Amino acid sequence: MRKQSPIIGIIFWVIVSFLTLFPIYWLFVISVKPAVQLFSTPDVILSDPYWGNYAKVWGDRLLRSYMLNSVIISTGNAVLCTILGFFACYALSRFNMAGKESMFFWTITNRMAPPAVFLLPLFLLMTQVYAVGDWRLLDTRIGMILVYCTFNLPFAIWTLRPTVEGIPKELDEAAYVDGASPWKVITEVVFPLCRPGLAVTLILTWVFAWNEYLLAATLTNFNARTLTTGLSEYVTTTGTEWGIMATISVFTLIPALIVFGLVQKHIVAGLTFGAVKG
Amino acid sequence: MRSNALGWILLAPTLVILFFFGVLPFIYVVFVSFHSWNPFAANPEMVFNGADNFRRIVFDAEFLNSVGVTVMFVFFAVVSELIVGYLLAQAFMKDFPGKAIFRTIHTLPLIMAPIIVGSVWKLMTTPSIGIIPHYLDEWFGITMNIGTSATAAFTTIVIMDVWHWTPLVTLTLIAALVSLPPDPFEQAQIDGANKRQIFWHITLPMIAPAVVATVFIRLMDALRTVDEVWMLTGGGPGSATRFVGVHIFKEVFPKTNYGYGSTISVIVLYLTIVACWLLYVTMLAPRNTKKG
Amino acid sequence: MSFAYKLAGSALAITVAAGAAFADGHEDWWKQAAEPYQGVTLRGVTESSPPSLYIREVLAPQFEELTGIRVDVETTSWDQMFDKAIKDMEAGTGIYDMVYIEQDIIYSYLARDFLTDLTTLLGDNPDLQAPTYSEDNFTTFADYFKDDEGHLYGVPMEAFIKVYLYRKDLFEDADIQAAFKEKTGRDLAPATTHDEYAEIAQFFTDWGKENDMDLWGTTAQAHTGHVASWYEYFESIAPTFGVYNWGIDADNNYAASVENGGEMNSDTAKEALTWWLSMRDIAPPESVQSTWTEVGTTFGAGRAAQGLVYGENAGWIAADDTKSLVVGKVGVAMPPLADGILDEVEGGEGYVGYYDGGAFGLPTTSKQKEAAALFLQYIGQNEVQPDWAVAAPRVTNTATYDDPKVQEMNAELGGYYDMLKDKGYLFAGAPAYPFHAQVREATAPTFYKILTGDLGVSEGLDQMAAEAEAELTNLGYRN
Repeated sequence: MRKQSPIIGIIFWVIVSFLTLFPIYWLFVISVKPAVQLFSTPDVILSDPYWGNYAKVWGDRLLRSYMLNSVIISTGNAVLCTILGFFACYALSRFNMAGKESMFFWTITNRMAPPAVFLLPLFLLMTQVYAVGDWRLLDTRIGMILVYCTFNLPFAIWTLRPTVEGIPKELDEAAYVDGASPWKVITEVVFPLCRPGLAVTLILTWVFAWNEYLLAATLTNFNARTLTTGLSEYVTTTGTEWGIMATISVFTLIPALIVFGLVQKHIVAGLTFGAVKG
Repeated sequence: MRSNALGWILLAPTLVILFFFGVLPFIYVVFVSFHSWNPFAANPEMVFNGADNFRRIVFDAEFLNSVGVTVMFVFFAVVSELIVGYLLAQAFMKDFPGKAIFRTIHTLPLIMAPIIVGSVWKLMTTPSIGIIPHYLDEWFGITMNIGTSATAAFTTIVIMDVWHWTPLVTLTLIAALVSLPPDPFEQAQIDGANKRQIFWHITLPMIAPAVVATVFIRLMDALRTVDEVWMLTGGGPGSATRFVGVHIFKEVFPKTNYGYGSTISVIVLYLTIVACWLLYVTMLAPRNTKKG
Repeated sequence: MSFAYKLAGSALAITVAAGAAFADGHEDWWKQAAEPYQGVTLRGVTESSPPSLYIREVLAPQFEELTGIRVDVETTSWDQMFDKAIKDMEAGTGIYDMVYIEQDIIYSYLARDFLTDLTTLLGDNPDLQAPTYSEDNFTTFADYFKDDEGHLYGVPMEAFIKVYLYRKDLFEDADIQAAFKEKTGRDLAPATTHDEYAEIAQFFTDWGKENDMDLWGTTAQAHTGHVASWYEYFESIAPTFGVYNWGIDADNNYAASVENGGEMNSDTAKEALTWWLSMRDIAPPESVQSTWTEVGTTFGAGRAAQGLVYGENAGWIAADDTKSLVVGKVGVAMPPLADGILDEVEGGEGYVGYYDGGAFGLPTTSKQKEAAALFLQYIGQNEVQPDWAVAAPRVTNTATYDDPKVQEMNAELGGYYDMLKDKGYLFAGAPAYPFHAQVREATAPTFYKILTGDLGVSEGLDQMAAEAEAELTNLGYRN
C-alpha cells in the first residue's frame, strides 16, 4: 500500500478525537461550574474551576451506597449473563436439539421489548409472586441482577455464538477420546479458547447494566438503588442541579473507564461476529 | 456427539430466567392489551373489551406518527453509524503513531449512560445558551433552536445517537476487517481492480455477516430509544421526536393508560420482531445452519 | 445571612439540635406514644424538592432520635414519584407508609380511596393524638386535602403561589425609567394589566437588544415537549383572562368545547393563548425549552426583567447567591389581570393564578398506619415550621408567618410571604378532577403543535376541546 504522510493521519485523528471527546469534556466543564454560571454565555476554555460539587457528591452517604449497588448489580449481572450465555451458545453449537434455531431467535426477541409497559407486570411479579412471607424480590440487588438478564442475556448469546462456533469441534472430540467429562471439556478446553469473546461480552453487558435507568428507577426503592437513579433525585421542581448531576455522571464514568481500559485489547479480538476466518 | 439432554441442561438456566422475567410479563401485557384499564377512569377496573384497542390503534394518528418518526430515526441513525463506523474502521487498519490511544478515545462514548448523554446534549444545545447554538450563531450566523425547529431537534438526536453508538460499529467492523485473509486482495490488485471494485466485490461480501450482526443490534436498540430523547426534547417540538418508546412511556406513565398502552407495546414488539426476523432469516440464518 | 448559609445551617442542625423543639416537656408524650412501635421503619416516597429534602435530612432523623422510629424517605423525580406511589397503592403492596400528594393528584387518589382519613384515624385513637398537633394550625391550603365532610387526608408540607416576579433594580433605574417614559408616555411600574405587561416586556427586550445585553422583557414556561407549557397556559394565563378550571365545566357533563357549554376553545381562551404566545416570542430563546425549573434559572441568571415564576423558585432567585445573580433585586407583585377579573375573583368566582403545593398522606395500604400517623403529626406541628420555612420557602401553618426568622426572610424575598398570607385566597390549586393527568396528556400533544406553529391558536384549541371531551367520554366521566 502507498505510504501516506503520517501528519495528515494524525490531524484527521485529532479532529475525530476532538469531536468524540467534546461532550465528555463538556460534562466535566458543567461539573466544575457553580450554578450561577450555567445560564450565562458559554466559554469553551475552562477557567477557575469550582470543586464544590465534587465535595458534595463525595460526602453524600446515599450516593456512596448507590455506587456500591451499581457495582454489585452490574458486575453480578455481567458475570451471570456471560457464563449462562456461554453455556447456551455451547449447547446451540454442539448439539442438534430440535428447534434450536427458533429457540435462539426467541431468546434475542427478549431484548426487543419496549421497556415502559413491562414495568407494571415486573412490579407485580416481584412484589406478589416472587415473594416469600415479608421478603420480596422488588428492591433487592439479586432482583435487579435477574431483571437485567432480560436485555443482557440475549446480547451475550448473540455476541458469543460466533465465538463458540469458531472453536473447532475436533478439539472437543479429542478431549472426549482422552476420557474427559463433558463438564471438563466445556470449562477446561472450550472456555479458555473463547476468552477474547467472553471478555468483550463481559464488558459490554457490564456497561449496559451499569447505564440502565428506567428499570432501576421503577423497581428499586431504598436498598438497591443505583447511581443512575440517583441522578433523577437532582431533577427537582426548584431547578435541575446540573452541576451535581454532571459530577455524579463523571463518577459513573470512572469505574466504566477502568473496566473498559482493562479489557481494551480483547475487545477487537472478541467481536468477530463470525467473520470469515483467514 | 453427547446426548441432547446435556444441551438442554446447558440451555436451561437461560430459558428459566427469560421465562420468569421475559415471558410471564409478556403474557401479562398481552392479556391486558385486550382490556380497557385506566385506574383513574370512572370505572377503574380492568374491563375486557375484545379487540377494541387494536381497532383503535389503526386510527391513532399520534401513534402512527410516532412509528413514522421512529422508522426515520432508526434509518438515518443506523445508516450513518454504518458509514462513519466503516470509514473509521478502515482508517484504523493503517498503522500510525498513537493508534492505541486514539482507539481508546474513540470507544469512550460507549460507556456513557443514555440518560447522561441526553443531559449533556441538552445542555449543549439549549437555544441561545448551549455552546453549540451559541457558536453557530456567533461564527456562522446560523440559528439553531431545537425547541421550535423539528428538523433541528430530529437532526440533533440522530447526531447524538451517531456520536454515542458509532464506536460499537467501528469496533465490530475492525474485528471483521482484521480477520480478513490477505490473498483475495493481493490477487485483485494484481488483476488491476480499483478501490471501489475491491470494496464492492471483495471486502463487503466478506464482512457482510459482521455488518448484518451489527445492524441487527443497533436496530433493536435504536427502536427502543427512550432515555436520551426523554432528557433532550421530551418528544418535542410538537411530536417531532416522539418515538414509539417515548410515546408508550407517556401513555403508561403519566396517563396511566395501562390497557391501551399494552396494546401499543404488543404491536410495536410484534413489528420489531417481524423486521428483525426478516433480517435474520435472509441474511444470517443460512450461514448459521450451514455451519451447524 | 445568605439563604445558602441558612440551608447549610439547617443541615447541621441534625447533629446539634435534634429534638430541641421540645424543651417544653412534650418529649415524654412522644416517647410514650412511640413505645409500641419500636423497631418499626416507616417508608415514604416524595419528589426531591427542598421541603422534601428537609424532611429526609432534618425532620426524619430528629423524629428517630426522639421516638426510636426510623423513617426512610425516598426522593425521586416528579414523574417517577407519581408512578411509584400509584403502582404501590393500586397493587396494594404496602411499600410506602407515606406518599407525597401534590395538590393536583389528590382528587384522583381520593376517587380511588387510596388515602387514609387522618381526622378519623386520630379521632378513633386518642392515644395517638399528639398534644402539639391540631388541624386548626394549618392555613386554608389544607382545605385542598379535605373531603366533603371536612376530613383531612394529608398533612400539608409545601405551599406556594405562582407570582409575578420583576427586577426591582431595573424598574427603579432612573435612566430606564426616563427611557420608558419617553417611549410609552407613562411611568414604569409593575404591570397590572396584560397590555401594560406586554408594553414593559417589549420595552425591555428592545432595551436589551439596543444595549447589547442578555436581557429580555419576559420569560415563558413554553417547552414544546413537556407539560410545563400546558400548565402555564391553563393554570396561570387563562385564569387571568377569566377562563377557569381548564375551560371544562364539571357541572355540565364535563363539557370542554363552546359548542357543548365549555370554554376551552372560547374566544377568551383564544385571546389568552394568543397573548401568551406573543409574550413568548419576545422572551429569551431558551423559553421554548423551558419548564418551571429553567424559567427560574433564566430569571436567576438575570436574563428576564419580569415573568411569572413559581414561588418555590422565587425563594432562591431572591436570596441564594450560589444560584442566582439577582439576589436582592427582585420584587413580587400580583399577576397582570384582564378588566373585571379581580372583582369577579373577590366575589368568589374563579382565581387569579396558581396555588400549588403538596401534603404527606397515609396510603390505606400502609402496614404501619399508627406509627406513620405519629410522624405526620410531627411534621405538622407549629414548632418545626419556622426552620423548615427558612430552609425551603413554604408556609403551611398560620403561626409560621409571625415567626421572626420567617419575617426576616419575608423581607429578603421582597415581601413574598406577605403576599402569600394576604392575597393567597385569590389563588387556587388545580380543579377537583379525578382525571387530571389523563386529560392533560390527551390534549398536550396538540398544545405542543400550537406552540411550534404547526397549528393555529383557534383550530388548535378547537381540537384540544374535542380531544378533552373524547378522553372524558373514553374514561367514562362524560356521557
